[in-house]
Amino acid sequence: MNPIIQVEHFSKRYGDFTAVDDISFTVDEGSIFAFLGPNGAGKSTTINTLCTILDKTEGTLTINGHDVSRDRSLVRKDIGIVFQDSTLDAQMTVEENLKYHCAFYKVPKNEVQERITFALDLVELTQWRRAALGSLSGGMKRRAEIARGLVHDPKVLFLDEPTSGLDPQTRANVWEYIQRLQKQKNMTIFLTTHYMDEAEVCSRVVIMDHGKIVAHDTPENLKHQYTGTEVDVVCIQTEPLESALQERDIPYRKAENKLMFHTKKASAALDILSAHRGEIMDFEVKNGTLNEVFLAITGKEIRQ
Amino acid sequence: MNPITAIVQRNLLNYIRSKGRVFGALFMSMFMLVMFSFLMKSAMSGLDAPMPYLISGVIIMSVFQVSVNNSSDILTDISSGYMKEVLVAPIPRTQISMGHILSGAVIATLQGIVTMICGIVLGLRVGVLQILLLAAVMLVSAMTFSAVGLFLATVSRNSPAFQTISSMIMMPLTFVSGAYIPTTMIPGFLLPIVYLNPLTYTTSIFRYIALGAHTLGTKELIEQGMAFLIGGFVITPLMGLAITLLIGAFFFVLCVRKFDRADFSTIKVATGMRGGGAAARR
Repeated sequence: MNPIIQVEHFSKRYGDFTAVDDISFTVDEGSIFAFLGPNGAGKSTTINTLCTILDKTEGTLTINGHDVSRDRSLVRKDIGIVFQDSTLDAQMTVEENLKYHCAFYKVPKNEVQERITFALDLVELTQWRRAALGSLSGGMKRRAEIARGLVHDPKVLFLDEPTSGLDPQTRANVWEYIQRLQKQKNMTIFLTTHYMDEAEVCSRVVIMDHGKIVAHDTPENLKHQYTGTEVDVVCIQTEPLESALQERDIPYRKAENKLMFHTKKASAALDILSAHRGEIMDFEVKNGTLNEVFLAITGKEIRQ
Repeated sequence: MNPITAIVQRNLLNYIRSKGRVFGALFMSMFMLVMFSFLMKSAMSGLDAPMPYLISGVIIMSVFQVSVNNSSDILTDISSGYMKEVLVAPIPRTQISMGHILSGAVIATLQGIVTMICGIVLGLRVGVLQILLLAAVMLVSAMTFSAVGLFLATVSRNSPAFQTISSMIMMPLTFVSGAYIPTTMIPGFLLPIVYLNPLTYTTSIFRYIALGAHTLGTKELIEQGMAFLIGGFVITPLMGLAITLLIGAFFFVLCVRKFDRADFSTIKVATGMRGGGAAARR
């Protein structure tokens, strides 16, 4: 796959404060790419620089081959952005917000209605088309903002904390829209979030902390590399399994008739379990989470 | 739809929807017209037609005030976040500036025309051609003042600062423009300010057309405060129009540069620049 976003040795400083410190990464076309990290890690600074809102201090950043500092208007044509805070006009209706957006992005006149209909359908706001934006709920505004961000068919859609401040149900819905969008339009989606569980569906994840990239991989690889699998086994008899674990040098914990141990991959536990299936009453295999990955890498919980 | 048209349409739509503003603005311009025309009438002795002279001054001043004040709309856009939507769009910065300047100017001109109609009721005598010419002058001046206002708004960045700066500049300039008090009655030590004041020239061209003063000679125009003799050089009303246009172009360039180089990180909605602004509030 072709990289659509390329960032090389990007740094951003505000006076003495270094917000982003010499980071490099690429984003493949048509992928969902997540920037993870606690508040203040430099996620938004990076996204705002890519969106031509901030100027870099050093480095090269390109989107679809255009330099974000030099060819600003070319970059602006290719991207759609949903900012952390609302940038909608509360006095206008949902449709008007989208209509003027189409004018700003020079969407061909005969396609405007069709595109607005499609975008509103996707986020299930069709029946609110003519409602004043200010009268909508927080979740609906967020969806309206996502609809507006994609109505001009951008190559890359930036979502800065798209689900922050939303209730769990709306969060789940917004995620559904994002994934549907990526499938239907093969759009590249670049998002930042501090909800680790949300990043599980992404093709690639970059973890940032204190302005630096501390990990860059697929969620699966990160979990394999940093967390492993936890296996909890409830035994009829614990002794045979205990000796099997000791033989293999696998440390375990014991609570009554329950044994708990870690393996690198879930499949590694399979041998032991199948060899002792007669002594096993029940078992549970837990995969690592990105939260644990983050904890393992940075030595702290993500600050929320 | 062209981006300029879109910005103008959107601004006008929002203006019309805030009915209180439309009503308040119309009330203010009529109030000013009636108050000034009657209060200042006695100060105008020595002029051929004191009432039309004053009315024409009040009309162009209302256009001036409305266009500068309407520029504060952009501050609402900045604080609501909508400005960010416009700034990240692939619209040339000249078109963003032009859209905002035009919408402010159209509103100011429409209000000026309403004020002019009231003025006609109060005794201003103008023909159809004059009305068209006056409307054109109003539009040109309103664009200039909108550009000035837009620049002041982007410099001050918030509403209270804009109010302070704009009234600090507008009030004195209004009073030494000749609109309310003829320049011929202003004490000599203030004359340099009168001549440096762009409003002086805007007022002179507007009044020149409103009073049908093209029949007057240069000497009479100077006596009536519609042309100015500065160091042996005569500034005619037509030059006044050119000066107004020049100032407008100058501030237009400043606005474009401001939008181009704006340090967006300090715009309110960009609080997320160091990560999770929204989250940090929780």
